[in-house]
Formats: sequence, C-alpha cells, structure tokens
Amino acid sequence: MGWYFRALSKRRIIEFVLLTVFAVFFAGPLLNLAVLAFSDQWRYPDMLPQHWSLRWWSFVLGQDDIAKSIGLSFLIATIVTALSIVLCIPAAYAFARIRFPLKKVFLFSFLLTHAFPKMGLYVSIAVLFYQVGLMNTLLGVVLIHMINVLMFMTWIPTAAFRNVQAAQEESARDVGASPFRVFRSITLPLAMPGILVASVFTFLNSLDEAQGTFLVGIPDFKTMPIVMYSIISDFPSSAGAVFSIILTAPTLILLLAAQRLVSAEVLSSGFQVK
Amino acid sequence: MRKEVKQAIVGLIMVSPAFLLLLFTVVIPIIQSFVTSLGNGSGGYDLSRYQNLFTDKGLRSNILFTIKVTLLSCVLVLLVSYSLALYMRFSSGKLVELIRKSYMIPLFIPGVIATYGLMNLLGNNGWLARLLLPVGITLPRIIFDEKGIIIANLWFNIPFATMLLSSALASIPASVIESARDIGASKLRIFFRFIFPLSYKTFLVAVTFVFMGVIGSFTAPFLLGANSPQMLGVSMQQVFSVFQEREQAAAMAVFSFLLCSFLGFFYIRSMAKEDQLND
Repeated sequence: MGWYFRALSKRRIIEFVLLTVFAVFFAGPLLNLAVLAFSDQWRYPDMLPQHWSLRWWSFVLGQDDIAKSIGLSFLIATIVTALSIVLCIPAAYAFARIRFPLKKVFLFSFLLTHAFPKMGLYVSIAVLFYQVGLMNTLLGVVLIHMINVLMFMTWIPTAAFRNVQAAQEESARDVGASPFRVFRSITLPLAMPGILVASVFTFLNSLDEAQGTFLVGIPDFKTMPIVMYSIISDFPSSAGAVFSIILTAPTLILLLAAQRLVSAEVLSSGFQVK
Repeated sequence: MRKEVKQAIVGLIMVSPAFLLLLFTVVIPIIQSFVTSLGNGSGGYDLSRYQNLFTDKGLRSNILFTIKVTLLSCVLVLLVSYSLALYMRFSSGKLVELIRKSYMIPLFIPGVIATYGLMNLLGNNGWLARLLLPVGITLPRIIFDEKGIIIANLWFNIPFATMLLSSALASIPASVIESARDIGASKLRIFFRFIFPLSYKTFLVAVTFVFMGVIGSFTAPFLLGANSPQMLGVSMQQVFSVFQEREQAAAMAVFSFLLCSFLGFFYIRSMAKEDQLND
C-alpha cells in the first residue's frame, strides 16, 4: 500500500482527504437515517445495529394518519405547482418581453418573500387569515406554500423567456404567424426547461413546507412534515428514520427524472436578475 | 405612442395576478407586523418594543447570538463554497464529475429530515461518536449547542452557495484565464484580477441569500439549538406563542427585516444596474 500513496502527489492526497470529509459531512446524516430505518436494536457503543428488522416499516405504514398525510401532501403540492404556474408564468413573460411602468419595482418586490423572517410573516398572515376565514382551509395552506416559491417561480421563467432569441420569434412573425402562435410554438417550447425546473422546485418546496402549514392548517391539514414533527417527539428514532425515507423518496425520484434539466445555471437564475 | 400605452397595460395585467398574491400574502402582513410592533400594549403607539430589544437582557443576548451565528455561518459557507466552485471549475476527472452531479442533492432534501439526520449523527452517543470511539476521539457537545446550528447552516447553505457561484464561474470565458496564464500571471493574481471581479456580483447574491436564510431560520435551531441563547426565529416563536406578546414578536421580525434590508439594498443596487431591464 505504501508505495501507492508515495506515488501519488501530495496535492492528490489532500484533495482526496478533503473530498472524503465533504462526502461524509453531506451523506453522513442521510446514511445514518438509512441504517436506523432498518435497525431493530442498536445499543451504544456498537457501530452497527445488533438486530436488523423491518418492524418499524410495518409500524409506520400501518399508521392511519401517515398514509393520509402522504396523499394530502401530494394533493397540496400539485395544487400549489399548478396555481403558481398559472399566476407566475404570465408575469415572467411580461418581465422578459413587455415594457411597462415600474417594471423593476414589481420585479424586485418578489425579494420580499425572502427578506422578512418567515416566522414573523406567518404570524401576521395568521391574523389576516383569521379575519377572512382562511384558517384551517385548503386554500389557506396552499397560499402559505406559495409564498416560498413566488420568487423563483417568477424569476427562473423570466430568465428562460429572456434567453429565447428575439430573432427567432421575429422570423416566425415575418412568415405570418399570429402572436399567440409564435408564443405557443416558438417561445414556450424554448423556455420550457426553465419552467419545468421551477415547477419541480416548487413541487418539492411544497412537500417540504412545515412552519406555515403548522400555523395555518392545524388541526385538519397534517402534511408529511407536520406528521414528521410529531413522530420525532413521540416515537423511537427508527420510526422517524423510516418516515424520513418515505418523505425523501419522492424528492429523489423527481430529481432523478429531472436530472438533465436541473443545472446550476437554470436554478441560479431564480435568485438573481441577469 | 398608442402602441406603447397598450403594451404597458398588457404588461401590468399580466403581472398583476402574481403581484396581488404577493400583496395579500407578503406586503400586507409585513405592513401589519410593522404597525403591530409599534403598539405598546396599552392602546398607544411608541418605540418601546424596539427599546426592549436592546434593554431586555434575554432578547439582547438572543440578538447578539443570532448575529454572531449568522456572520460566522456566512463566512464559513462562502469560504467553502467558493473553494469548491473554483475546484469544480478548474479541475477535471471522474471525481470532479461525481461531485458536479451530486453536490446539489442537499438543496432538495426536506429541512426536517436533514436536521433529524444531523441530530442522530452528531448527538451524544450518536453514530459519529460510536465510529470515533475505537480511535479514541471523544466529540465535544455539538447538538443543543451553537456548533450544531452552524453545522446545520453549513449543510443547507454550502450546496446552495456553490450552485450560485459555480454558475457564475462557468460564465467566465476560459480564454480570459488562459491568456492571463500565458502572460505569466500567478494563480492568486488571476483570482484577484479576473475571477473574483467577474463573479463578484453572484458572490453578493450568495451572501444576501445565505444571510437572509440563516437569520430567519427556524427548523434547525429549534431542533438543534440550546435553550438559551436562542436564534431570533426560535425566540420570536416563543415570545409569540409562549409569552403571548404579539407586539414584541412583531418588533423582532421587523428588526431582523431591517438587518436583511441592509444587504438587500446592495443586492438590488447591483442587480438594477443590469441594462437588460431597461429595454
């Protein structure tokens, strides 16, 4: 073994050590949950569980409110994504293509969703929702989820529309296509990757939202992260680990499916105006 | 002229649904918070709630603690992210390819899950403690301590900042760096003369979002932090729901908003210069 390491340059070794630390740092917590989920008994100080079992899987899957929470979470995430697309895509197109007054003010106002602490925002929203009767309603929860995604759901598609060459649209217009036709068959398909990434991000963000749902949706809207909070406090860590995997699985599946689209370039356009 | 007016109207109509939602769920609640924070509890309006932030011993230590953790997290996150982004930009090989493919995954992992994983991994008698036992290393207290909060902040924000910075670095043309190398510029010189100035704007974006994310964070400090001092997000929740002091909680929210707006100002100023918006 010794000769092998000596043959490597010092730089390579440092690189390797640093990257290992990195991998352990980021993968460690998730790996730990994966091991925990299949353990039956794991006493200190053993490095691995003494007994493995699927006991906690059948326990978690057998709980009534857990199956319900999964369905509810997906329903909410679907509504949130669809509604955000309907509301934000026209705005994104306008920001990218149309001249109108106060454009910059409108564009940057979306930054407010990230600048005010969420806790403070939710508390005020709860007061407002009480007055208009949105507490403990599906619409109330959906609106709370949309706050988090408004900014990048507008900014990512804005960048995507901007990246469509105006020349391509113009040449379609020149051969007599109507503005709507140009949008449908030139602009929209070319901007689609950006819109899809924003939608995937929105969907996952909604699945993940806990604080706002907790404040506005209690007691009827127990989404997956809400159930997770109570599992953490009420059950042994293996049950929490099992549920963590169930909660993370859709994320990983969606990411894998959208792998080709999700790039640093597209995602980062959701946080800056280029 | 008439065409321009028509366009302006169409533009405003297209923006209005998203903006109305923003108005209803964000702008109005912020204004409402501000008005609430000025209430002194006995019907009048003054700045006493803001005075409390600096005179009340508990609140003051929470604020100082929050600022300390936020600044420390920002520095660490940006240091690591910048190095990682540079490494990914200027190295090649299978390993780098693997990192490029996987470094963004934590961005999409639910916050509760990652925090829960960190708790189990780093806690007393956690997995890391068990793995290090044979080597004879005992870990200091990490969970229920500020170290835990900072580690969680690193976990959530390094992938995010790296994502932003590597997109900025990718847009620096290789020819710029190669020609600098050709005339014999040292690595450090290339970094300070070309790479940093060309990615400075995105650097500011990363600082702004990491700062805003950490200062308002709740889940991680709630599950991982000590009872005192607390991060503002946790303290705010407690002041609101345990002590039932709405005005004080609102003042805390507005105060942290002011801290964010300071950075937000530089962010918007740098973004607004972009000429694309002016056309």
